[in-house]
Amino acid sequence: MSKVLLSGNEALAEAAVRAGCKRYFGYPITPQNEIPEYMSRRLPEVGGTFVQAESEIAAINMVFGASAVGDRAMTSSSSPGISLMQETLSYLAAAELPAVIVNMQRGGPGLGNIAPSQADYFQAVKGGGHGDYKLLVYAPASLQEVVNLTVQAFEKADEYRTPVMILGDGVIGQMMEPVELPEITPKRIEKPWALTGAEGRPGNVIRSLFMLPGEDGMLERHNYKLKIKYDRMVENEVMHESVHLEDAEIVIVAFGTAARIARTAVSIARSQGIKAGLIRPITLFPFPEQIIAAAAERVEHILVAEMNMGQMVEDVRLAVNGRTGVSFYGRPGGAVLTVEDIVSALQSAVPRGAGQKKMHTVR
Amino acid sequence: MSTTTKEKPVTLKTLTNKQDLLSGGHRMCAGCGAPTVVRQVLLAIDEPVVISNATGCLEVSTCLFPYTAWRVPWMHSAFENAAATASGIETMYRALRKKGKIKKNMKFIAFGGDGGTYDIGFQALSGAMERGHQLLYICYDNGAYMNTGIQRSSATPFGANTTTCPAGSKIPGKLQKRKDLTRIMAAHNVAYAAQASPHNWRDLMTKVKKALASDGPAYMGIVAPCNRGWRTQTDDSILLSRLAVETCYWPLYEVENGTWTINYDPKDKKKPITEWIKPQGRFKHLFAPGNEWMLEKFQQIVDEDWESLKKLQGTFGR
Repeated sequence: MSKVLLSGNEALAEAAVRAGCKRYFGYPITPQNEIPEYMSRRLPEVGGTFVQAESEIAAINMVFGASAVGDRAMTSSSSPGISLMQETLSYLAAAELPAVIVNMQRGGPGLGNIAPSQADYFQAVKGGGHGDYKLLVYAPASLQEVVNLTVQAFEKADEYRTPVMILGDGVIGQMMEPVELPEITPKRIEKPWALTGAEGRPGNVIRSLFMLPGEDGMLERHNYKLKIKYDRMVENEVMHESVHLEDAEIVIVAFGTAARIARTAVSIARSQGIKAGLIRPITLFPFPEQIIAAAAERVEHILVAEMNMGQMVEDVRLAVNGRTGVSFYGRPGGAVLTVEDIVSALQSAVPRGAGQKKMHTVR
Repeated sequence: MSTTTKEKPVTLKTLTNKQDLLSGGHRMCAGCGAPTVVRQVLLAIDEPVVISNATGCLEVSTCLFPYTAWRVPWMHSAFENAAATASGIETMYRALRKKGKIKKNMKFIAFGGDGGTYDIGFQALSGAMERGHQLLYICYDNGAYMNTGIQRSSATPFGANTTTCPAGSKIPGKLQKRKDLTRIMAAHNVAYAAQASPHNWRDLMTKVKKALASDGPAYMGIVAPCNRGWRTQTDDSILLSRLAVETCYWPLYEVENGTWTINYDPKDKKKPITEWIKPQGRFKHLFAPGNEWMLEKFQQIVDEDWESLKKLQGTFGR
């Protein structure tokens, strides 16, 4: 298959179209504008619909509507816009509606800037909206992975009846790489729950309100039902990549753009005699805690590198649970990590002598 | 609460002695209509003024920390919130006035582009107008989300080519007509609502003075050509705002406490809409064979809006 050179935003949009996304709703915000722009040109060609909403709140609720009738629907935005969508993300999760939401993160908090960032990790994996819910969260680190995970996101959204987030950033969205765009026959999953007119069948109900008379305890039961679904994801959907884990003495845990940079840092460190390795979570929820816990049994130290003030490091610490030392190196506010800085963080984290652990802590 | 801003005639002579409250050195594009609009607005004010600014070109290009182009107190919060932020500031001012902690007569202005006003900021704007805050909301209207790369807004004219309503073989640009926000604001029964254009600075500044002197909330829509989004020459901003008025795409009118007045009626000199759209690259495809119907429809939209405006003046005029 021949490769084409595309930006991450375009690659994601084209992958979505090939995955059978027929309805796209969006609203302008940098650095993801190429997604709605591409969709506005492309979707009419395949009989799909592009709608520009009057706000991100409207866009995500349009996704809610389209998803309820059984369409593969998507929206995309960047950090401040994703913040506006949080209420309906909670509603989508509660109503068990499949949807794909793309966040090409930018520097925050507030209006922040338009530079790449990973500061929405907490918002994405801990449930940015209200209530007990989870999103299935993918964090691609290359444009080929953007393509593959976008297709997968639509399939998993339908399979689990859940909103799925693709957590990229300004680098992922804006950079260009050659990608293979597979011809896909989208896996069709029957949606007997969808609102399709109720002809010849009892009507379906999609709702997130459980307080009618006689529904005592129903919301609690609904939460347990969701919990079972999230547990199934934890069991079946964890994705990660390991680099040089076999003989590693120190391991970096990083996702997305930070992992690309960390990968180079690992090779440089190895050329200097530091036995470094990399664990790259591809799903952020479910989190690859078992692989990290297993590594923690063997390695001297774990360094978490993120483009934020230290968010995923909390999940790493939970996974490590005291088995080994964990330190953090990161830069917030749209600053991109450098290979040199990660190497130097590795150097200062490497044990200086037998039995002595002098750890680098940037926090 | 309202106090009169003396309605003395605006003359160039008096203006030359006033300081521009939006300084040079901001990063708006060469030829942008918006800073011209803002300067004219601020020159019309004699009292201390506080600005609330929605996210957009004007906001992001004038406040790159540690620099600011504003010589007046200025606040930005979020995209959709300029009217709400201004409401909060004005409420605090009322409270401090009541307590006697502020003696000065101050004015409050919110600036937003059309995206931040017609679309995402509409709810906050409507709320502020209904509550009756003593503030003037000004929309500088360039008819698209120019800051993020020329996406369509509900202010984008019929037929225009933008990056999210691209003119292609299936769909020939934007198919909807523009939302008529000035009339919607007038329907809020605000004290003052008006449309203005920077080519007629005297009319624009007089309207700002009237708006700020009125007892209650006020709204002004001001056309602000954008050469990047309109695909025009950088020195055509004032010409294009003039043509917008002379073709009656952007009529100059005001609604004062329910009384409708058209400020400029070209009568038999009304220019065809093609004179305004021909120089603009965003309408280039309308002149391609097969799209004649769009030119006709555009003219029809303008004619109908103009006729209905004249009816409003006939019914609710002086």
